[in-house]
Amino acid sequence: MSTGGAFGGNRGLRPIPPEKGIFPLDHLHQCDTEKKGYLDCLKSTGHKSEQCRHLSKTYLECRMAKNLMAKQDMSELGFSGVTELDSIVEKER
Amino acid sequence: MSWSKACRGTRISSYLENLHRTSQYPRTILCSRYYTHRACKSNEHYLRSKRVFWGSSSSWSLNSHSATAKSMLDSAHRQYSTHSPSETKSQKMLYYLTAVVFGMVGLTYAAVPLYRTFCQATGYGGTVQRKETVEEKIARHSESGTVTEREIVVQFNADVADGMQWKFTPTQREVRVKPGESALAFYTAENKSSAPITGVSTYNVTPMKAGVYFNKIQCFCFEEQRLLPGEQIDMPVFFYIDPEFETDPRMDGINNLILSYTFFKVSEENTTETVNNNNSVPVQETN
Repeated sequence: MSTGGAFGGNRGLRPIPPEKGIFPLDHLHQCDTEKKGYLDCLKSTGHKSEQCRHLSKTYLECRMAKNLMAKQDMSELGFSGVTELDSIVEKER
Repeated sequence: MSWSKACRGTRISSYLENLHRTSQYPRTILCSRYYTHRACKSNEHYLRSKRVFWGSSSSWSLNSHSATAKSMLDSAHRQYSTHSPSETKSQKMLYYLTAVVFGMVGLTYAAVPLYRTFCQATGYGGTVQRKETVEEKIARHSESGTVTEREIVVQFNADVADGMQWKFTPTQREVRVKPGESALAFYTAENKSSAPITGVSTYNVTPMKAGVYFNKIQCFCFEEQRLLPGEQIDMPVFFYIDPEFETDPRMDGINNLILSYTFFKVSEENTTETVNNNNSVPVQETN
């Protein structure tokens, strides 16, 4: 904003804490395989998040299963239309 | 000489009394005559009138000095008859001014919440309008079926404070994401020292003005994260870029966002905690 000079301006913009809070750390590496799958997918698709969304979904599901994340409906987190099949279809295009 | 002084005194006192009193004394007439005589500078008349004056007011002359004092005091109020209205008027002014002072002080106290609500409503100075949570936003956009086309490249940056023996890097260099899609990213941190280190991180998004649209659903920042010596861990960040990013004209030229995390060391003051944690495997640790 042009008036951002007031109130500390850019420097004064305070970072906002995350909506759902903090991710508990995965000290025991319980969801490592899912994580690796997601990262490999990213590398192969040129870091396009769209095509790897199903893997990020599985990663979050793994976290929820291992009590590292609050259980929540996936559609609420934006994964409403994401299924395994969808991503495969996208890859084929 | 003494006559002149006395007469001067009496002249002043009588003059003053003449101002605020409809004089009933005949000497006022004498006074006026005295003035005219004075003005004419006729010595004889002067003395004669003085004598007459002096004679007539001999009984009164003793009181003249006290009367002088009194009349001086009265003159300060100017008009004896209008004493109370001026006082009430100044009293009213006093009350009014006191009320103004208290009003101003009260206003400064009230300004804090008023200011906050104003900033929330208008987003002035970069205040983020927390009208809805990310989940509500996601729900709203998925229902309305907003289709986003612009691909935004989110790059990652990781920093560690000076003197902190952690290796902190982003696991992937960048993620290409469209606004409205929640995305996952990872950071890797490794404790390279021989002692457990607790760190706390903060983040920022550049360009600054785009930071408003960058919503973090979940991350690892703002809370102490403890790493044992030699431990390596992956820290995920789950974020979401508001689809309104596309419609904002200020964001026209922005296709690159950089998410930067910095870890700071937290001083290990809690010795009992470290003793307990050193003995057992960190199974219970869910920070």
